[in-house]
Amino acid sequence: MKVKFALAQINPVLGDLEKNIKKHEEFIERAIQNGADVIVFPELSITGYKLNDLTQEVAIKPYDALLSKIFSLSKKIDISLGFVERGDDEIPYNSAMYIENGRIKNIYRKIYLPTHGMFQELRFFGKGKILRVFNTKYGRVGTVICRDFFHPSLVFLAYAQKADFVFAMSNMPLRGLEGEKPGIQHMVEYAAYTYANFFSQFIVFVNRVGFEDGMGFYGGSFIETPSGKVAGFSGILTENLTFAEVDTEEIFLRRQAFPLLREEDFNLINSNLNRILSEDRNV
Amino acid sequence: MSDLTLNYEIVQKFIVEFIKEEVVSNGFNKGILGLSGGVDSALVAYLSVKALGRENVKALLLPYKMTSPESLTDAMHVVKDLEIPFEKIDITKIADSYFSEVKLNNKLRMGNFLARVRMSIIFDKAAEFNAMVLGTSNKSEFLLGYGTWYGDMAAGIYPIGDLYKTQVWELAKFVGVPDKIIQKKPTADLWPGQTDESELGASYKNLDAVLHLYVDKRRTKEEILKMGFNESLVNNIINRIYKTQFKRTFPPVAKFSSRTVGIDFLYPHDFKR
Repeated sequence: MKVKFALAQINPVLGDLEKNIKKHEEFIERAIQNGADVIVFPELSITGYKLNDLTQEVAIKPYDALLSKIFSLSKKIDISLGFVERGDDEIPYNSAMYIENGRIKNIYRKIYLPTHGMFQELRFFGKGKILRVFNTKYGRVGTVICRDFFHPSLVFLAYAQKADFVFAMSNMPLRGLEGEKPGIQHMVEYAAYTYANFFSQFIVFVNRVGFEDGMGFYGGSFIETPSGKVAGFSGILTENLTFAEVDTEEIFLRRQAFPLLREEDFNLINSNLNRILSEDRNV
Repeated sequence: MSDLTLNYEIVQKFIVEFIKEEVVSNGFNKGILGLSGGVDSALVAYLSVKALGRENVKALLLPYKMTSPESLTDAMHVVKDLEIPFEKIDITKIADSYFSEVKLNNKLRMGNFLARVRMSIIFDKAAEFNAMVLGTSNKSEFLLGYGTWYGDMAAGIYPIGDLYKTQVWELAKFVGVPDKIIQKKPTADLWPGQTDESELGASYKNLDAVLHLYVDKRRTKEEILKMGFNESLVNNIINRIYKTQFKRTFPPVAKFSSRTVGIDFLYPHDFKR
């Protein structure tokens, strides 16, 4: 099945829900006009990243009226966006929601919240605990958010649930300008290539651009296919909407040519992990 | 040893985007800077013109009677090459009236005073030109504390604040700053014959190598000494970093309320703009 993706490499205004939601609506409308099946935004796409004390001011319930136009647009296109979720437990989460046909299909709460160096997420957000893959018209989708993507164990969880697509919605600041491309970009592409190949799934990486307090997000959004090819690279440091069509048939072909999933023994992994956790006090 | 080579094509693009966006998100479309004739302010001028357009970058030439004529010539060279609006204001009368009033004859205090007079003029002219003040401090100066607090360090943004001096030279070559400005000895130009390297006691090549190892690579003093760097150089650099930390942080506030500015009033700098 052919699926047309729209990668929304946007530059949100920090803390301005209204402006950002308007930008989402514009990008979504453009994606609809171009016949895309699904549009993917970056992490915290309706709020911006470095919120700090603003976190509680921009936290919204998933069905907040601010998103009503986006919900109605979702009758024509699937939408994955990032927001600060005010949870039922009244804790703010760094979350991604997947909207399909006017309804929320899935909410994923970021699990690994970086808190070191320039990152302060655990000071402001609750930690997610569940990675649940969900069905869409074009396949099974798992979401991870930014730092989560650097934990192969999380992408493995999506693999264990037979995900066809993993969305990596990110706000990755640029760092490392010694080489041909930014060090962070090299690391992301290397990870995507590895995951896509060994987990025989599509990796949909969408990163934002723009500056907040000196941090510059590098963009560089792309899709990595299960046979290790890049579809639709967005370039770095500029806002844009990139379209990329992929064929899910590639997953079938890959899983026959290199049948790792068929070989995989998840029970064995599970029992070993249980053994390790019970035996080793250092884990 | 340490390699400070960067991909200057991406560095340039990154800094140009940074200036463009930070100036606008702070509510301006213009920038203003003091142009000394040295490489730091020249580089910021070239990058700012790329980001904002030549009519939106204003240069201020602020000589004192002891400023070398060569500095003025070099600053004018930049102004002409970039075709940017500029103003020249001689600060001799302003400064000398204070120096004679308080009978000041101490080079360091006079130098700092001149830096703060220039700062006052730059900020006043920024209000007139409705522009953001573009800082020209680099990472070597920041870390060594080699700059006047609330003087040349006062600015709205620091486009080259993450570049060591030796990297400033390389980027300056890449963006086309005139060779003569890149080649000359760095000086704060506070008195005749002053040079950064004689005052700091080492070449920027050595200073940057040690700073890079100590700060970026987090190598210990012992490890750096083993690599063959001079002990007094390393001690001097590390002491300078510690002694000048106050210049790089928000000053301590006596905290007793639930949200205190500088401690836990944690709004970002760039929000809702």
